[in-house]
This record gives sequence, C-alpha cells and structure tokens, in this order.
Amino acid sequence: MAILSVVLAMLLSTGLAAAHAVAEGDKGYIQEIYGVHLVPFMYLGAKHMVTGYDHLLFLLGVVFFLYRLQHIAIYVTLFAIGHSTTMILGVWFGWNVSAYLIDAIIGLSVVYKALDNLGAYQRWFGVQPNTKAATLIFGFFHGLGLATKILEYDIAQDGLLPNLLAFNVGVELGQLIALAMILIAMGYWRRTTSFWKHAYTANVLMMTAGFVLIGYQLTGYFVA
Amino acid sequence: MYNSDTPTRAELPTSAQLLKSTIIAIVAAIAILVAIVLPSEYGIDPTGAGRVLGLTEMGEIKTQLAEEAEQDRIRDEQNAVPTAPAAPQQGSNLLDRIYAEFLVGTAHAQETRTDEMSVTLAPGEGAEIKLVMVKGAQANFAWTANGALVNFDTHGDGGGENISYEKGRGVAEDEGVLEAAFDGNHGWFWRNRTDAPVTVTLKTSGAYSDIKRII
Repeated sequence: MAILSVVLAMLLSTGLAAAHAVAEGDKGYIQEIYGVHLVPFMYLGAKHMVTGYDHLLFLLGVVFFLYRLQHIAIYVTLFAIGHSTTMILGVWFGWNVSAYLIDAIIGLSVVYKALDNLGAYQRWFGVQPNTKAATLIFGFFHGLGLATKILEYDIAQDGLLPNLLAFNVGVELGQLIALAMILIAMGYWRRTTSFWKHAYTANVLMMTAGFVLIGYQLTGYFVA
Repeated sequence: MYNSDTPTRAELPTSAQLLKSTIIAIVAAIAILVAIVLPSEYGIDPTGAGRVLGLTEMGEIKTQLAEEAEQDRIRDEQNAVPTAPAAPQQGSNLLDRIYAEFLVGTAHAQETRTDEMSVTLAPGEGAEIKLVMVKGAQANFAWTANGALVNFDTHGDGGGENISYEKGRGVAEDEGVLEAAFDGNHGWFWRNRTDAPVTVTLKTSGAYSDIKRII
C-alpha cells in the first residue's frame, strides 16, 4: 500500500501547474486592486466609451443632424444623465441583468435613432417622438450596459463608490473625446455638397449596424 | 424626409475652423497617448505623469498579468502530454475508481500531517503553496500576512480540472477547512499588491501527502 501511495502521489504531482486563472488586461487589473484608484478608473471609463462602438454609433446618430453646439450640449447632457444614473445604481445594487439583452437594446437604440434621423416616424405615424426623451431613455439602457460590464469585472467593495464615480467621470470625458472626433469628421463631411445625398445612406448603414448588434447579442443570449 | 432642418451655410464650420480643430485634435491625441494611454496599457511612462496619476502601476500590472498568462499557456502545453496517463484516475473505470476512492483514499485519510511554511513576497510578487490531496480529503489551514494585506486565490487543479474555492483582495488572514474537490493539488496563491515586502505564514494539518511551494 505504501508503494501504491507513492505512485499515486507521483501521478498527482505530474504537471504541478499554477492554475489560478489569470485574468488579463483591464479585468485582470481591476481584480488585483482594492481601495481608491481615481485616475485609473477615470481612464478605464474613458477607454470604455472611446472604444465602445455601440455607444459611438448611438452618439453618431444623436449628433448626425445637430449643428449648433448648444443643441449638441443638451443631447449629450441628457444621454450622460441617463447612463450615469443607471450605471451607478446598477453596480451599487448589483442588478443582475443579462448583458446580452441590454446590449441588444443598445443595438435597438441605434436602429431607433437611425429611423428617427430618416424621418421614418413622421412618415409612418405622422408624429415626431420626443427626441430628447428618447435620448434620455436610451441613456438609461446604455448605463445598464456599463453596469453589467463593471459587475463582470468583479470590482472590489473596498473603494467601490469613489472608484465608480471616477469611472463615471471618465465615461463623460471619453464621450467628449469621442464626440470631438465625430464632430470633426462630420464637419468635413457636412461641407461637401454630397452630404445630403449620402446622409440617407449613412443612416441606413447605421441602422444595419444596429440590426447586426441586435442579432449578435440575441444569439449570444440564447446560445451562451 | 429628415428629422432636421437643412442648416444654413453659416451654421457649418468654416474650412479654417475645421483645420484648426484637426490640428488641436492631433496634438491632444499625442499628449493623451504619451501621458495617459502608454502608461496605462504598457507601463511606458516617458513623462512621469503616469506614475504621479497611478496609471503606470495599472500598466505594470497588466503587463505582468499578460506575462504570467503566457507562462501558464506554455506550461499547459508542456503538461498536456505527461498528464494524459493519469486519465483513468478520473474514474472512467469503475475498478480504478473504487480503488482510488476507497483503498487509497482511506489510506490517505489516515495519514495526517502538520506543516508550517513562510514565504516573503516583494511588492508585486506572487507565491503558491499546494497540498497533494485525494478527492474528499480535508485539511485545516490558517494563514496570516503578519499584519500586512495580500490578495489570495484558494484553488485546486489536477487531472485536467480546475477549481477556485475562494478569492479575496486586501485580506490580512484566512482560515478554514480545505476539502479537495478532486484528486490533485489544492492550495493558495498569494499576491502582494502593497508597496512593501509581505511575509505570509501558512499552517496546515490534515489529510495530504505532500506540501510544496510551486511558485
């Protein structure tokens, strides 16, 4: 029996691997730290916004036909109020919403805004839904999406609220950076005579991307 | 057709305005890249701003985790072949299973031992100590960071299986009973994320055949 035990011990000890699963990147960093880290969380919030193509698409839709800075400011503020609210509440109370469903709704927000830009609601229903209310409401959903991502990151309880607020400030900064990029590109585009010709197509393409997002996320919901 | 009025020519930005905006954007982008993005992502901090803001630490942690994940992948590939013969232990064969769980399991359960180990971790360093246990075997443990704080992951692996029993961040100590979920190595990974060296002391007693520091 002693020999067998030794053999078994040898078998067990083959491949002594360090199998603590190492998460990498932003998630790995968040899982390694605790306490208040304001600037890093601001950075992560800004990064999330600038690299989040779904937010960018919606933002593009919102500002597509806005020209005056004060109008842009109103809509962006409404969107910011919307997503800040649900992001902080969602993380704080640990709302366990399916990331797939939320992201599908974010895809829907892109489709909605594209149709809005195309004047579809006026043509089909003879009414123009309140564009400000829609921006605020979809802001709520975008914030829920952010909250589910942060919860996936398994953020530490130690320093949670300051870190979340910093993340939120970062999201706003990132939104401003993304907006600046979009507005410069659109500034050049709007000056061309073909803008009005291509604007229709561009919104149809945006709607297509929104539908793809919906399909992608809904499939994930049922498959994953 | 559009949900918007056609803007007048005057409402559009002038060409000069646009050019100015573009140049400002490029300059801002370079500043953001050098002072913020490079420290945050790669720990590269030519201006020193990232260190002051706490971003370089994030880049260093990310780089370190990426290297460790790469090492894990290499180790997994190297271990892929030698672990194959151990497959019957997983209980595919009834006789093997009876043998492993009853005869050997009992034999091991009767062997209890007691150990105490200490490891000192430099800032950023990680260490792992594992017990060689059979399925269902139990070991009492208590560890302390001796007044400091560490991150930990109590986990096990063996025969192609992995499990994480408990994880914690910024914890001073932990104690309890570790029950092996399967035949293999079960133990603790600690990481020092403080600025000073930390000594972790682990006391164990129970049914395990060996105790080893792996990392």
